[in-house]
Amino acid sequence: MLNETKAGQKIVIIMGIGITALVVGTFAYYMLANSSIDLFEILSIPIILIIILTSTYIILDRYKNIKKGLPAQDERLKLAGYRAGYMGFIGAIWSAVGYNMLNIILFDQEPRGGLVVAAVVLISGIVFMLSYFYFSRKGE
Amino acid sequence: MKTRIKELRARYDMTQEDLARKVGARRETIVFLEKGKYNPSLKLAYDVAKALNSTIEEVFIFE
Repeated sequence: MLNETKAGQKIVIIMGIGITALVVGTFAYYMLANSSIDLFEILSIPIILIIILTSTYIILDRYKNIKKGLPAQDERLKLAGYRAGYMGFIGAIWSAVGYNMLNIILFDQEPRGGLVVAAVVLISGIVFMLSYFYFSRKGE
Repeated sequence: MKTRIKELRARYDMTQEDLARKVGARRETIVFLEKGKYNPSLKLAYDVAKALNSTIEEVFIFE
C-alpha cells in the first residue's frame, strides 16, 4: 500500500499540508470577499480553527515519528481510524435525524437542505476527530 | 492479557523506541502492549516475539 512505504508516508504528509492550506485559503478568500460578516460566518471560525489545529497536530506527530525512523501509522492507529470512521458514520446518521427533529420541535419548521448538509458534515467530522483522538490514546 | 515485553526488553538492553523500530510500530503501541492494553495482530505479536528472541507464548500470557 502507498501509505505503508516511507515515500508514501511523506506524500500523505505533504497532501495533508496542502489540503490544510487550501482550507485556510478558501476560508480567507470567502471572508475577504464578503462585505459584511454574519453570525454563521463568525461561528465557522472556531470550526476552521479546530480543523487547522487537529490537522497540524496529526501532521507534526507523523513527521516526528518518520524523523525517528518509526512508521507514521501502524496497525493500532489504522484500527483507531476505522473505529473513528464508524463513529463518524453513526454521527452523520443521527445528526441528520436529530437536526430535523430539533428544528421541528423547537421552531416548528423543517430546516433548509443546505443547513442539514452542513450539520451532517460538521457533526460527523467532529465526531470522527474526537473518536480518533480517543481511540488512538486509549489503546484497545 | 499480560506480557513480558518489558522484562525481555531489559534483558536485551532495548528501549521501547528500539523495539518499535524493529517491529515497524509506533512507540505508543509498544507502551500499550507492555501495559496489556492492546491485543496485537498475529503478525505484530510474531514480530515482537522474534525481536525479543522468544516465542509468542513466552512473550504474551493469555489468562
